[in-house]
Amino acid sequence: MITVKNLSFTYKNGNTPALSDINLEISDGDFIGIIGESGAGKSTLTYTLNGIIPHHYDGDFYGAVTVNGMDTFENKPESLALHVGSVFQDIDSRMVASVVEDEILFGLENFSVPHNEIEKRISETLEAVGIADLRRRNISSLSGGQKQKVAIAAIIALKPDILVLDEPTGELDPQSSVQIFRLLKKLNEENGMTVIIVEQKIMLLCEYAKKLIVISNGSILYNGNVREVLRNIRELEKLGVNVPRTVTLCKRLEELKACGNEICISIDEAENLVRRITNG
Amino acid sequence: MVNFSNVTFGYQKDSPAVRNVSFNIGQGDFTAVVGANGSGKSTLLKLFNGLLKPSSGSVIIKDMDVSSVRTSVLAKHIGFLFQNPDRQICQNTVRDEILFGLRCIYDDEKIINSRCEAMLSEFGFNPDAQPFSLSRGERQRVALASLLAGTPEILILDEPTTGLDYKECMHIMSIVKRLNDNGTTVIMVCHDMELVLDFAKTALVIDKGELLAHSDVKKLFMNSSILNKASLLPPQITGLSFRLGGKYSDIYTVEDMAQRIRTEIKTGRE
Repeated sequence: MITVKNLSFTYKNGNTPALSDINLEISDGDFIGIIGESGAGKSTLTYTLNGIIPHHYDGDFYGAVTVNGMDTFENKPESLALHVGSVFQDIDSRMVASVVEDEILFGLENFSVPHNEIEKRISETLEAVGIADLRRRNISSLSGGQKQKVAIAAIIALKPDILVLDEPTGELDPQSSVQIFRLLKKLNEENGMTVIIVEQKIMLLCEYAKKLIVISNGSILYNGNVREVLRNIRELEKLGVNVPRTVTLCKRLEELKACGNEICISIDEAENLVRRITNG
Repeated sequence: MVNFSNVTFGYQKDSPAVRNVSFNIGQGDFTAVVGANGSGKSTLLKLFNGLLKPSSGSVIIKDMDVSSVRTSVLAKHIGFLFQNPDRQICQNTVRDEILFGLRCIYDDEKIINSRCEAMLSEFGFNPDAQPFSLSRGERQRVALASLLAGTPEILILDEPTTGLDYKECMHIMSIVKRLNDNGTTVIMVCHDMELVLDFAKTALVIDKGELLAHSDVKKLFMNSSILNKASLLPPQITGLSFRLGGKYSDIYTVEDMAQRIRTEIKTGRE
C-alpha cells in the first residue's frame, strides 16, 4: 500500500516544481500505468516511491509518501528496497556485474536470500524473462534490449511486494515487450505484486494495466480505470498521448448507434465490436 | 545508392552477427530495419558507414567500397544518428556541438558558420544551452541537427524515437520525412511498427543475422509468418484488418477502417 499526501518536489536549482500537490492511494495488487509527456514528472514521481527522492536528489520536498507504512522521508532507499523493486531507464549505469547470472546473483546475495534458493530463483527468473540462453553471456556483448531484460530479471528475482518500472520496454522488440507485460500481469495476478509502470508504449500499457494516471506539468490530470481515462481522448491527444488506434476508431464510430460509446483497447475487442455491429 | 552483396560480419569468428546478407537500396528510399532484439539490426547499420567492415562480401555506398574508404570520407555522405544521443554529444554548448561535426567535414569557416547558424535557426535552439541540461528529446534533436548540418545524402537512424514521448517522436519524424521527401535516403532501425507503417516505404526484416525479407511495408504487415518469425507484431489497424479479412483486407488507417465499417453497416441495412 502506498499513500502520497500533498506531495510537492522542486529539484535544487529547478525554477518550477517537478511535482505539485500530488495525492494518491495505491492499493496492494494494483497495476498502474503512468503516462504523460517528457518532463511531466513521471520519473520524478517514481523516485518518490522508492525513497531516491528525497535521499539522493537535493531539493524542496513537501508532503509525505508512505510505503507499506514506512515514511520515505525517514527510511532510506536501502530499507525501502526490501518492499519496492525499481527498474530504471538508464540501464547501463546501473549494471554492476560483467556476466548476466552474476547481475541477478548480486541482488539476491545482498538481500540475504538463502543459498539453497538462489539457484532456483536465478534459473526461474531467466526463464520467465526469456533470457535463459544469455545466462553466461558477458553483459557488454548484449544488445540494448537484451540488457533491458537482464535489468528486469535482476529486480523480479528479488520478489518485491511493489515493482516500479520506468519505461522498461523502451529498447525491446514488439514480442519481447508483450512478453514482459505478460510476465508483469502474471506477477500481479498470481503473486499479488503491485505494479507501477511508466511507459510510452501506450497501446500495450492500456491492454495490461488496470488503472492509468496521466501527469502533466507535475500534476495529476486523470487517475482512474483505463477505459474511463481513455474517454478523454481529445484532451489526451492535446497532451501528445498516442492513444491506441482502436480507441480512435471507436470514437470515429460513435455516431453509429450500434457502436454505443464502447471503448476498445485491443485488436481482440475491436474485432468483436466490428463483427457484432456489421453482423459479420 | 547502397549495395550489400553477400555481407557477413562477426564480432567473434564462429558466430557471425550478420550472415550472407544481400540487398539494394535506391536513392530517396525510406527503409525500416526491423527484427528481434539481438538479431543484428544495429550491427547491420554500422556496416553502412564503415564503423564495422565486413568479414566477407562487399558494401558499396555511392560507388565507394566501405572496406577501402576511410570512415571520415563516408561521413561526408552518411549521417548516423545513434540510439542514445549521449553517445554522440561531446561539446558543452549546442552551437559547439553543431560546429564540431561541421569542422570534421568542411575546412571553410565561412561555410561552417553559415551552416551552423542555419541549423540553429531551423531547429529553434538556444545556441548557448548546455546539451546535457536538455530533455532526452531535445538532446536527440541536437544530435540530429549536428548530422543534418553536414547535408548527408544518406541518413541512418538507430531507434531514433526511443525514450521520446509521442510529440517529440512526431517532431523528429516530421523532420526526417521532410528530408526524405526532398530526396535524402533514410534507413531506420525501429521497434515501433506504427511508425514504420506511417513513415517507411520498404522494410529489411532481420532474423538471427540473416535477411528474412526485403519487402514493401504494407505487404510485410499482412504476412503473419514473417512477422512471427521476426518477433514482430502488426500495427493495430493492420492487425484488425488481417483478423477481419475479406472486405476489410488491405486497410491500414483508422479513417479507412471507419469508412469501410460505415459502408458495411449501410449495405447491411439496405
